[in-house]
This record gives sequence, C-alpha cells and structure tokens, in this order.
Amino acid sequence: MNTQRTPRSDKELWRSLASPPAVVPAAVSEMELAAWLEGRLTEEAAGPVEAAVAADPALRRAALDLADILGKPLPAAPERMVVRARALVGFEADRKIASGRLFSRWLFGRSRHALQQGVMAVVAVVIATGGFMVGGGLSESLARQREGYSATETAGTTSTASNEFSEFFAGDGI
Amino acid sequence: MGVAELNLIDLRALTRGDKRTWDAFVIAAAPLINAVVRRTLSAYRLSEEDVMDAAQDVFVRLCARDFRLLKTYDPARAGLPTWISVVSRSCAIDHLRRRRQATEPIDDVPEAFLGVEDRHVEKLRIPDGLLTARQVLVLKYLYDEERDVMEVARLLSVDAQTIRSTHHKALLRLRAHFREEGPGGRG
Repeated sequence: MNTQRTPRSDKELWRSLASPPAVVPAAVSEMELAAWLEGRLTEEAAGPVEAAVAADPALRRAALDLADILGKPLPAAPERMVVRARALVGFEADRKIASGRLFSRWLFGRSRHALQQGVMAVVAVVIATGGFMVGGGLSESLARQREGYSATETAGTTSTASNEFSEFFAGDGI
Repeated sequence: MGVAELNLIDLRALTRGDKRTWDAFVIAAAPLINAVVRRTLSAYRLSEEDVMDAAQDVFVRLCARDFRLLKTYDPARAGLPTWISVVSRSCAIDHLRRRRQATEPIDDVPEAFLGVEDRHVEKLRIPDGLLTARQVLVLKYLYDEERDVMEVARLLSVDAQTIRSTHHKALLRLRAHFREEGPGGRG
C-alpha cells in the first residue's frame, strides 16, 4: 500500500491555508492608493497598502479595474454629464460675489468714517427736503385760508372764532 | 482634451474657483470619471441616471466646501488622473450604498458579493511574517481572483517574470514551513 501523499498543486496548497493577516490592516487613504497604483511608493511604504488591498476583495478588484481604465483610451463622457458638472462653478455668480465682496470691503473696511459721514449727509438732505415740502404745503393752505377770510369779511358774515384765528396769524405777520 | 491633459490643469486656479479652469478640468476629467463610475456600478443593474448622479457626486465632492478635497491632492505623490480615478471609485461606492439603503432584490446583487467563505473547513493559518504583503497579494490575485500573470504585472508595474518569481518564492516558503513537497516531488 502506498502511504505517500500525492503532492498538492500550488493552488490547492494556497487554498488549504487561512489567508493572513489575522488583524485587519489599517485603512488606506485615496492619496496612498493612488501613489501605490502608480508604483511611486517605497517597498516599506507599499507594504501596508498591499496588505490592505490583499485583505479586501473589493479593493483587489478595484485596483485592477483602475489600472485597466488608466491604461487605455477612454470614450467621451455624455454631454449632459459635462454640462451638469460645469454648472457647479458659476462664472456670473462668482463675479457678483467677488464684486460684492470688494464693495463691502470698501464700505466697511478702510473707509468707515467716510461711510458714516456720507450716511449723515444723506439723512440731512432727506430731512431738509421733507421740511421744505411740508413748509411749502402749510403756507399754501394758509394763503387759501386767508383768501377765504377776506371773502367772508366782504360778504358781511362774521364769526368770532374765525376772526380771532385770523387776527392771531395777522398779528404774527403770516 | 483628454485624461493626460488633466496633469496640465492649473491647480491653484482650480482651487481658487476660477470658472475657465474648472470648465477645462471638467472636460478633461469627465471621460475618466465616467469610465470609473460605470465600471464600479457595472456589476449592479443601475440605470443611466444612477451613473449620471454618481458622476455628479464626484464633481460635487471635488468642489464642495471651497474645493477642500481638491486642496488635499498632492502632485508630488501621484498623478491627478490616478487620484481622480480613486476618488471616483469611492464616490461610486458611496452612491451605491445610499442607493441600496432601503431594500434590494437579492437577484440584483452580483453573486460574487454574496459569496461566503466556508468556515467549516479547518485551515492552517499562515504565520505572520512568513510571507511579505506583496507575496500574499500576488497569490491572492493568482489563486483567489484567478487573474493572469500579465494582468497582475501590469497592476504592480513590474514585468511578468517578477510576478512568477514572487509567486515561486512564496510557494517555496509555504512548502518549507508546512513541510509540503512540490507537485514535482522533492528536488
């Protein structure tokens, strides 16, 4: 009887063994993985990345996929994809934001005193204009009242109250 | 513009939010992002809209929070196309996870993702340090993934002979440790 074991093939041997490592390898950053894919890491730096890739079947497949994609010419992307992506950074909006920032910097930054003086001047002009208009309106109504008084006097109808009112204004020279 | 032109993008202007640079970047990067997202999602029966949304996620992630992610890119460590491809894959995976959060018919999940290792079989454990990380990776690609030597060589930027040599040395170590004879017997 032959008691000698039939030697196993390399593949059989590998599959009969539990895959190392026993501990979960540290997570690999996107930058590290990219550097490893380009073969830019030293043997020492590549070790943890290779351990992580070896331990994760999805990462193993991804590494092969990315190497394949990067190594051959690619078809053009759909136009809609490009249009949507370009819209993420807006020219007009950026310009408005930039100019808005400049204006506010000028307004609230170095020229704070100029701003305050300007605001005060505007307020003063508004008050003066308002006062002038109110004053003009009042004198117009008084003139109309005076005319009415003269007409009443001419007609011979008198009223004590209205006489006193007119005299008061007449006495003040209005 | 193509993928190679990505390396010509003015990164400073890009991360400043310059519109013209962003447009040039989008035109150069879109074919790569499109390819990676499609490949990553290809195992799942997702619609064209999903591919579009996942690709848009990549661009959003790149320019979000004042281009924070793009600012972390280091040209000294890797080329922009390679880094963009890795970021695109991560975004596609994230998109997939969000998409599958609710429920998904089991028929839609690729068989490879449902595979569970048979834990009933007693296996000898390979001691830590017996094989290098690269040797383990090569054996996993060759036997677990059943990949071609050339494919693995291309991935690791070495020639096929180096992969064969790595494989041979790893098996010698394993056989020596577990006192196994090779398929051709001793010698």
